[in-house]
Amino acid sequence: MNVLSLLGRNLTQGPYTEPFPFGPAPTAKRFRGRVTFDAATCEGCKICERVCPAGAIRFSKAKDGLAFAVWHNSCVFCGNCEFHCPTGSVHQTTDWHLAHEQARKYAMVEFGLIPNQTCSECGATALATAPSLRGIAPPLSAEEAVTLKSLCPKCRARFLKARRAKP
Amino acid sequence: MLLARNLKRIAARSPWLYRINSGSCNGCDVELATTACIPRYDVERLGCQYCGSPRHADIVLITGPLNRHVKDAVLRLWEEIPEPKVTVAVGVCPISGGIFRESYAVCAPVDQYLPVDVNVPGCPPRPQAIIEGVAKAIEIWRARL
Ligand code: SF4
Ligand code: SF4
Ligand code: SF4
Repeated sequence: MNVLSLLGRNLTQGPYTEPFPFGPAPTAKRFRGRVTFDAATCEGCKICERVCPAGAIRFSKAKDGLAFAVWHNSCVFCGNCEFHCPTGSVHQTTDWHLAHEQARKYAMVEFGLIPNQTCSECGATALATAPSLRGIAPPLSAEEAVTLKSLCPKCRARFLKARRAKP
Repeated sequence: MLLARNLKRIAARSPWLYRINSGSCNGCDVELATTACIPRYDVERLGCQYCGSPRHADIVLITGPLNRHVKDAVLRLWEEIPEPKVTVAVGVCPISGGIFRESYAVCAPVDQYLPVDVNVPGCPPRPQAIIEGVAKAIEIWRARL
């Protein structure tokens, strides 16, 4: 009976084998694959670099800012970076199509650059990182956030202090 | 004679796969076993099969960060595989050392000692990614014949 029902199921439902590579493969929604980086929202705190157990993430000083790089041939896809990132700037996508020829070994890198900017207050050159907005009460308005982002760290501190002092 | 020559051209070439564990944590080896033995993935649909002897092998899959202890054995085994062979590094361990990188006990990356053709990053890579890598390797192998 059991054999017959199995046979019947095989006939109606077809083979159990996934069609991949001749068709698409199902991927879990939260699959931890290729790492992406969004320089616009990054605070430059470098926590991701610190928590990466494989040393796959590197921040380095560049002429025009702070460069981010993650090498997918060292990354162990553990999810630490995304878990600890306060802003969600580093994110693991569901893309797992990472197999490549040897010639592309050192091209499996995701780059990002946090550019330098000129402070709109004092004119100093500083990184255009996203300001840390946690714990600021009352929350900044959209305009204030834009202003805060255009400042250097010293002027940001002064801006927030002045804001707190306001009645 | 003509028939023999044509047969050589027409016949689909089916490579043998061979697996070398160079000190892996077994994560990648389990995934390799999964791609071979579980009907859900079934790497044999690509016309290849695992074999037990390096002398029969055409495509060699290396896992693990090449531990100092097994380095010589792995290199000797690799030498025994006849040309033309295609080497696939499975997992980030053989590619860069992965989580074990810069340890005193490992000699990764493997491509310092032998030519690697295809890399399949992941820790471990999912079975479908390994199938993708094997498909790439078969292409390279057919071009080399
Ligand atoms: S990506 Fe996230 S964790 Fe890394 S430096 Fe930017 S804000 Fe910090
Ligand atoms: S997923 Fe893990 S190994 Fe990969 S970059 Fe993030 S922290 Fe590093
Ligand atoms: S790549 Fe990861 S799963 Fe594969 S052998 Fe190395 S540590 Fe283990």
